[in-house]
Amino acid sequence: MRQIAIYGKGGIGKSTTTQNLTAGLAELGKNVMVVGCDPKADSTRLLLNGLAQKTVLDTLREEGEVDDLDLIMKRGFGGIRCVESGGPEPGVGCAGRGIITSIGMLEDLGAYTDDLDYVFYDVLGDVVCGGFAMPIREGKAKEIYIVASGEMMALYAANNICKGIQKYANQGGVRLGGIICNSRNVDREHDLLNAFAKELGSQLIYFVPRDNEVQRAEINRKTVIDHNPEHPQAREYRHLAEAIENNTQFVIPKPMTQERLEEILIEFGLMENIKDSYAI
Amino acid sequence: MSGTIEQPRFTCALGSCQSVVAIKKGVPILHSGPGCGGQITRLIGQGEGYAGGSTAPCTNAEEADVVFGGEKKLRSVIENSFKVIDGDIYVVLTGCTAAITGDDIAAVTGEFQAEDKPIVYVEEGGFKSNNYASHERLVNAIVDQYVDKFKKSDEKVEGLVNVFASIPYQDPYWSGNLEGIKKVLTDIGLKVNILFGNESGGVEEWKTIPNAQFNIVIGPWVGVKIAKHLKVKYGQPYLQFPYLPIGAIETSRFLRQVAEFAHLDEIKVENYIKAEEAKYYSHIEKMADFMLEFRYGIPRRVYTIADSSYALGFSKFLLNELGIIPGPQYIVDDIPEKFQDSVRAEFDNISILQKRQVEVVFDPDAGKNQARLEEDAKNYEDKRLLILGSSWDKNLADKLHADLLIISVPVQHRLIMNCGYTGYAGGLRAIEDIYDRVLATYR
Repeated sequence: MRQIAIYGKGGIGKSTTTQNLTAGLAELGKNVMVVGCDPKADSTRLLLNGLAQKTVLDTLREEGEVDDLDLIMKRGFGGIRCVESGGPEPGVGCAGRGIITSIGMLEDLGAYTDDLDYVFYDVLGDVVCGGFAMPIREGKAKEIYIVASGEMMALYAANNICKGIQKYANQGGVRLGGIICNSRNVDREHDLLNAFAKELGSQLIYFVPRDNEVQRAEINRKTVIDHNPEHPQAREYRHLAEAIENNTQFVIPKPMTQERLEEILIEFGLMENIKDSYAI
Repeated sequence: MSGTIEQPRFTCALGSCQSVVAIKKGVPILHSGPGCGGQITRLIGQGEGYAGGSTAPCTNAEEADVVFGGEKKLRSVIENSFKVIDGDIYVVLTGCTAAITGDDIAAVTGEFQAEDKPIVYVEEGGFKSNNYASHERLVNAIVDQYVDKFKKSDEKVEGLVNVFASIPYQDPYWSGNLEGIKKVLTDIGLKVNILFGNESGGVEEWKTIPNAQFNIVIGPWVGVKIAKHLKVKYGQPYLQFPYLPIGAIETSRFLRQVAEFAHLDEIKVENYIKAEEAKYYSHIEKMADFMLEFRYGIPRRVYTIADSSYALGFSKFLLNELGIIPGPQYIVDDIPEKFQDSVRAEFDNISILQKRQVEVVFDPDAGKNQARLEEDAKNYEDKRLLILGSSWDKNLADKLHADLLIISVPVQHRLIMNCGYTGYAGGLRAIEDIYDRVLATYR
């Protein structure tokens, strides 16, 4: 069983990418579980065709305890097992502790069965406290993929997250499997992400092009593979799934300084042509 | 489901630090806010023990540790504990603060475990449960992380038995009680791992846990998780005796059950029982005239505010050995619902002579129970009352002109060293103490 954690800047497309790529893995016949680690509880909407799922923490709050896995785990597209940790409303409580509690509960309930090929943890964007690192503690996710784009802040966040990963990688078995680019049509985005990934000591494992079909599918509460299986974008996600499936490069990331990050951005031309670049 | 209760007679999950203190040369390392150790000892403890209370190493987490995480501090406290405190086993326990900030205790402790240091971690967080539940988790953690690693072999030794009875310090008479249980079991030919307290062999004894032939759980629920875990891990069967055996009748019953389970020499065990019962009843015979003539002075009604193990043990003892009829039992150990039926069933079978109804109330709110007790006592205003409770029931006892025998925490009005109520000797001790309370009011 491969346990994989997906990190990246808030809004960059982690949940979208995770659900679309797991749809691809399910098509390849894999047994997959997706664990949403975000109080917004929106990590499985496209797989379950709606935000209907009862979260682990909601169930805990209402029932007092959770002793039945079926209460919190639903099957979605391709038989993918979906669990949402849930958490507090915005502005209250402690979501990090919520993640610790809900993942602990999944362990106690025996959700991690031997027949699973993949477990994906879709973790909220800004890893602001210890709780959000729960998925990469010893014994859980061994691989991390960071979703980024060519936008400065997405790369800054990705670099920042690598500092956290480095800590856990140095004391345990977790490794960075690669950067996934969720394209924003930035100038020379592919080259930029390639260079960025290399600087970290890792790889750009896949470049997902921008396509409005993703939005159309999302509005219809589906993954692209589900909504429009013949569309080129569906093929992209299938290829991403294959890239993950066949990946052998796992490293301890080497986060860079702010100066070095800006050097890379300048080198790949983003900051030079401010007039012509519509992304800024 | 949450609400408020008054006067909890147990602690938060961090209370299992006292179980560590009860292990010979055990050192709890608290990763918590300042003061937790001291607070816990004041409720469930007399004296700080080897390295407990405010002498326990603690990270004293403050604001910076919450904001930036406390792992660095914890690492330093652990390192220095090894240097400063001579311990045989160190156990890292998390309080509420560390649990919320999500410090990776497993990783930090793991660094020291990799160097084969005798250190174990238990991720608790005070708010997660009470110390009954965390005691079981603690024992299982020590088994998984220490015993399993340092055990000498998996071979079973015939006649060796692990005993899981009183929770150290939560049971104020734990030291004497465990000694008493070990004594009677040893006398019938078993070799006993009592694991906590003076009569234990410290960590060397813990290392032989896997070699036991079987396990004994004494009590209605605490310890069952441990026994089940050992069953899975080392294939050991277990026998459960549902309450503390106090006095001759129950101790003999207990020993016979153990003898049957372990296929011991029946004749040898019966001879032992006969000899002990003869000794026991000879004391009572000598006092028979006093006890009979004093029958108007003994308490007419006995109330219990205690945990399920004591409530059952004492009720059976008082009724069947002394003829004192148990009144309402207020059980304050927050026993999970699934175990409550078996406790009720034991109370239904309380008398050896006839069917009796005993009122049982499961409510960890001791304040409410005191109110219920006071209400009930109005019906017995002319009768002598006895309360088996804690120091917090002293005011109520004074108000009702009732006698108070302290059998549960907190204990402020009595110094307890090795006094215990289990076994034959324990039963005699209980009789002495009850009459002591009653006679103390004589002019």
